[in-house]
Amino acid sequence: MGRTLRVVMFSWEYPPRVVGGISPHVYYLSKSLAKNSVDVYVVTCDFPGAPSREIVDGVHVLRIDSYKNPAPDFATWIYLMNMNMRKEAAALIRSLNGEVDILHAHDWLVASATIGLKHIFRIPLIATIHSTEFGRRNGIHTDYERMIHETERWLTYEAWKVVCCSNYMISHVAWVFGVPSDKLVMIPNGVNIADFQISFNKEEFRRRYALPEEKLVLFVGRLVYEKGAQVLVEAIPKVLSKVNAKFVIVGDGYMRNPLLKRVHEMGLTHKVLFTGFVDDWTLKRLYNCADVCVVPSLYEPFGITALEAMASKAPLVVSDTGGLSEIVEHDHSGVKVYVNNSDSLAWGITRILLDPAHAETLKENAFQKVMREYDWNGISVRLRQLYSLVHEEYLRGSWKPK
Amino acid sequence: MRVLIFSWEYPPRIVGKLVHYVNNLAKELVKRKIGVYVVTFHDYLTGCRREANNIITCRVSNPVRTHIGVLTWVLTLNQEVERIAAEVYYNSKRQISLIDVQDWHFIPAAVTIKKAFNIPFIYSVESIEEHRSHGANSPFNLSIKSIEWLGTFESCRIIVKSEWMKNEIIRFYNVPTEKIVVIQPKSQEWIGRILQIYNEATKDVGGYI
Repeated sequence: MGRTLRVVMFSWEYPPRVVGGISPHVYYLSKSLAKNSVDVYVVTCDFPGAPSREIVDGVHVLRIDSYKNPAPDFATWIYLMNMNMRKEAAALIRSLNGEVDILHAHDWLVASATIGLKHIFRIPLIATIHSTEFGRRNGIHTDYERMIHETERWLTYEAWKVVCCSNYMISHVAWVFGVPSDKLVMIPNGVNIADFQISFNKEEFRRRYALPEEKLVLFVGRLVYEKGAQVLVEAIPKVLSKVNAKFVIVGDGYMRNPLLKRVHEMGLTHKVLFTGFVDDWTLKRLYNCADVCVVPSLYEPFGITALEAMASKAPLVVSDTGGLSEIVEHDHSGVKVYVNNSDSLAWGITRILLDPAHAETLKENAFQKVMREYDWNGISVRLRQLYSLVHEEYLRGSWKPK
Repeated sequence: MRVLIFSWEYPPRIVGKLVHYVNNLAKELVKRKIGVYVVTFHDYLTGCRREANNIITCRVSNPVRTHIGVLTWVLTLNQEVERIAAEVYYNSKRQISLIDVQDWHFIPAAVTIKKAFNIPFIYSVESIEEHRSHGANSPFNLSIKSIEWLGTFESCRIIVKSEWMKNEIIRFYNVPTEKIVVIQPKSQEWIGRILQIYNEATKDVGGYI
């Protein structure tokens, strides 16, 4: 190849537009790919105040006019946005003389744009499936949901390779869309480890949340059923019977009031602090102060919170489910407990709080693991290898335009 | 000259009266030695084939089977239209003169192909959403109107079948008068005028596109 590998990545969100997890994922991934000498373009939706063309950390960003067409519902808006995305990306690719090696789609939100462009320019398409409609809704119940589900299936069908962030998601996608296993590639989500290496006055910061004699138990997550904060709340008295601690619950959601009520009923208001959402500055410091970080999810496709805790050297207790099962090895890089079981969770928390030497080993092993497997740099190298593999297969094949 | 006609209806699939116009157009063009590819929808007669009358039909179906309405159905069908049009493009040494799009359904595909390959398209109007929906302005109707507007904006010429429609399009979509051509389908000079517009359109690449 005469020039560096060129990739056009499609995502409906990219900073400063942040709706969910895809935005930071695409931001760090594209930036790390650019550092590893991949020529990266990101095509994304516009955002008030953000320029339509700019270069961010070596990545060419194109923000398309995505609110041009009125739409009766979210899915129709997505398809119309894809129409505009296709139009503007086609002009972009034409301006590059069609010299683009890979198109990379993130979720069904950009499915029809990338599928159309794949066929028009005959460029291989790679799709990352971050989550599925089936998983988000716990089954398919309406025509609206089925339409999205079938669009996701269509994307996996059209993709040369399908990337998922955990083995759990690989098996889910294989089952729910019938994707053959040789098309599926596991490349984990990453964490920007350097962001969590901070020095600050811990004692002073910690005083805002806990008394000096209290251990600090941290929960970070939306307060929704599948994140399992209710399991943690039920475990609190069981932990307190063994060790003095303060439980800091970061995040918000529809379960906030029921949880507050339950804590009040148990007479433990002075031991539990609900902070709501906090900014990144505070969150990083909380991770760094935590004596244990708890991820008691009932459903978890990946579990980015676990990586953040590992990067911050906070000892981890996780429920043995989904992506969490893969990130943590029991009694090596954290403690695994039974899903939706407050006795087991209390045991896990107590085990770490009462054995500081063990906690020290766990967090050190966890940090080594996160450096080894979940650093964006390493992940982007793995993705670049996948791009090259697909590109070579493509060059050998007969589909490329003559 | 090689022309792609995009129409959501074509025999054996008959929805309204547009089908007769498209059928007639394709036949008359073939008689005048124009390479005609009709790209259309059919749920199972998919693929490209040369018909007895020398028209090449390319039929696509929708890979997304479940829909909440005609709009999402049309929007996902357009990727298959793009796929088959690209297939024709690559199989004919990238020689496609222009695309004639009948009504709004496949305007998205025509726009993408224009941007990708610099192939001009003509927007041929049978009817517009403003009349079909009797002026309704629900988000659903507005969506379709916004796609029709895209067609009027991105096309190099708009062919309409009556002076009345020309005035309606000018009124409703603010299109410059000279972009719209009135060619009455029943008139003697009909196919001759169509060919004349086709010729102008292919030569005007750069000027109109």
